[in-house]
Amino acid sequence: MLIINCPHCGPREESEFACGGEAHIARPLAENSISDAEFADYLFLRDNPKGLFLERWRHSAGCRRWFNIARDTVSHEIIEVYPMGALPRKKDALATHAASWRRDTAAEKAAERAAQKAQKPAQKPAQKPARQKAAAKKAPGKRGGK
Amino acid sequence: MADIMTGDAMLPGRSALAGRAGMNVAAPDGGKTGLRVQEVAHIGKINIRGTKSIAKVIWNHTGCDFPPANNMVSSAGARHIVWLGPDEALLLCEAGMERDLRRKISADLAGQHFAATNVTDALCVLKVEGPDVRAVLAKGCALDLHPGKFGPGQCAQTVLAHAGVTIIATDENCFLLICRTSFAPYTLDWLQDAALEFGFVFQG
Repeated sequence: MLIINCPHCGPREESEFACGGEAHIARPLAENSISDAEFADYLFLRDNPKGLFLERWRHSAGCRRWFNIARDTVSHEIIEVYPMGALPRKKDALATHAASWRRDTAAEKAAERAAQKAQKPAQKPAQKPARQKAAAKKAPGKRGGK
Repeated sequence: MADIMTGDAMLPGRSALAGRAGMNVAAPDGGKTGLRVQEVAHIGKINIRGTKSIAKVIWNHTGCDFPPANNMVSSAGARHIVWLGPDEALLLCEAGMERDLRRKISADLAGQHFAATNVTDALCVLKVEGPDVRAVLAKGCALDLHPGKFGPGQCAQTVLAHAGVTIIATDENCFLLICRTSFAPYTLDWLQDAALEFGFVFQG
């Protein structure tokens, strides 16, 4: 049994938590530029390392909040608990994140491109009002900004 | 039927553990009963979601701090706010007052980002007390229940014998146990079984 240090509730027994699998998997969003095989990497393939692993966990019987954990799959030692959407701070955990095969996949790069694309049209209307219509056409979901 | 649907002075329905009697077990050593359980029937419960920005309105209506400190209960008279998460709390109020209170809070917070939900009938509150209450609860839950670690005013959401519960310490040997209404009979049966060696009394 693990004792997991919930960032909100404090140390609790493992049975109160649910493991959500590998962390830091970026969804390629509506990016159609990648192949089915490359999309399958995102959807189906999960890492199964012997050593440090970054995982998502949820305190399902407590505060019901998600968070990330850096856990050693050999010793079960939890070296860091950190919030969703953030990167770990510990050097070893950060290195694990950078070294993951997933960082080089087409799905991950497509997600990065989509995120950049989503940011651009939102800024354009403010800088160039004349081109507002064109920008809105490109990303209809982002319309409605004042 | 109209009263049931719309009336404020609604008669409370059947409580979760109404009619459960004859469960008492004498302490085997003939001494003091180790665990006494009582249903706190119909106590008002409102689930509140929101950030610090709604604190003033909540304070105006309850006199309690919102949000309470992590794993703590903020109390003022008969009203208590139980911490459930970073932006979530359970407001306990006098029986029968929850509809009115929820409506007033919602009216004062109109236009703001929050949620106030009446969950009175979804949850059942049990008052469990007695000299052996910590020993009984420890049989079914992994929390550290030592008085130094879990004292009056503290609360925790956890599992008690596989049933999700919120445990609130109100005194040295007195707790409020909040479980789902549908889990109330199971929780009561489990408490009775776990307390056989200490003696058990259920006051309906």
